[in-house]
Amino acid sequence: MDGPPALFVGTLASARLADALGVRHVLRPPAPPPDRGWAPTDHPLLETWRSEVEAGPQAAGVVVCTWADPPSPAPLATLEPEAWRTQVEWPTSLWFTTVVAAAGRCRDGGALVVVVERPATLDAPGHATTVVVSDGLVNLVRSLAAVEGARGVRVNVVTTEVHTAPDPLLGAAPPLSTFPGRVGVEVAGAVRLLLSPDAVGVTGTALAADCGRG
Amino acid sequence: MMPRSILVTGASGGIGRGIALACGAAGWRVWIAARRGPEAAAVADEVTAAGGEGHAIVCDVTNDDSVGAALAAAAGDSGGLDGIVHNATSAFSSHAGPIGGITLAELDDHVAVASRGLYLLARHGLPLLAAREGAMVVMTSEAGFEGKRLLAAYAMVKAQQRALVAVLAREWGPLGVRANAVAPLGWSPAMADAFVTDPAMEQRVRGRIPLGRLGDATDDIGAAVRFLLSDDARFVTGQTLMADGGSCPTS
Repeated sequence: MDGPPALFVGTLASARLADALGVRHVLRPPAPPPDRGWAPTDHPLLETWRSEVEAGPQAAGVVVCTWADPPSPAPLATLEPEAWRTQVEWPTSLWFTTVVAAAGRCRDGGALVVVVERPATLDAPGHATTVVVSDGLVNLVRSLAAVEGARGVRVNVVTTEVHTAPDPLLGAAPPLSTFPGRVGVEVAGAVRLLLSPDAVGVTGTALAADCGRG
Repeated sequence: MMPRSILVTGASGGIGRGIALACGAAGWRVWIAARRGPEAAAVADEVTAAGGEGHAIVCDVTNDDSVGAALAAAAGDSGGLDGIVHNATSAFSSHAGPIGGITLAELDDHVAVASRGLYLLARHGLPLLAAREGAMVVMTSEAGFEGKRLLAAYAMVKAQQRALVAVLAREWGPLGVRANAVAPLGWSPAMADAFVTDPAMEQRVRGRIPLGRLGDATDDIGAAVRFLLSDDARFVTGQTLMADGGSCPTS
């Protein structure tokens, strides 16, 4: 694919990435249900959203960025059930729905790139809810790549640590001094690479745009 | 090996039953936690017959109050709890089908049993495990590494479980509590159901196992879990142990 992706799906937290990629069309997902967290009674909201994502012409390149304002760090065992549902169950259902629908918007031979915030395991304490959602989506990308390969559609994921990088860092500093990475440079560059014809043989892969933090 | 008191979720059959029996054979006290009370009681009797002390308790891992009550009862009766094994999995786990056909209700159930269940066990279990410098083991899957074309929701929550284990290991280490996962490839009723649903799956699964067979729920899978719960694994945390006969090349 040459040129910007035709479709970008993401929250306001991902606006800088959308701008950096120069996308033509941005879809904003629904906000999480307030107060009581996610519940099955919210299914119609997601069904409506799925239809919205599926509508419209097929595109050579589609980007889904799942970034959200990260919750305040807290050990998992201290989290209240309502917070768990809001921070894990809602985004899991939302982004599962979104990513599957977005794949359908890729034309044959196209590419879908999903961007997720995924702190390195060394930095993950206190960020369990972010990690659990992102690792689930990385896995979903692998499943989806296996499905969409028959159409020549590549599905890959870029993982980032731009929102959850700790200060100070534990252990050695990452190899690249620009850690945790600049949205318009390291992250956008990784997305462009995976969308490009240079990555024609790459699918079902997680590319860590984290300056080597691992 | 010192006798331990542990609770195993989803232990009324299959892999969970195998784990319970393996721990019972070591003389441990094993609480069989399941939604199906009669089946749990039957496995508890088998644990006792195997040389352990089996107890059954009804527990819905998706429900905060139910998980709290089950753990409190087990620890209260046993004078503490050394280990928790989260084996419970959605009833949809063996339902193969296209990604586009996965309903939100099905997705919800996967998340509720596998991921929320683990969170609730962690939330209520940590004080009990910390008191004994105990351990948690989560039964995940090779699907949690690779993804699965026809089991995408199941694979996703298995990946979520592995992610949680890695975080819990770091959060709980200072308390002396360990967290690990096991990715089994063992014979179970769920596996049998999956093979019926997708006959070609059996050939694919067996064809990639270097050791040439599915694991035995008790002697292969249960023994691996027992190791991770025991003092023999006291310096092992944050890991996923592949008990799959070499099937999954990711490891």
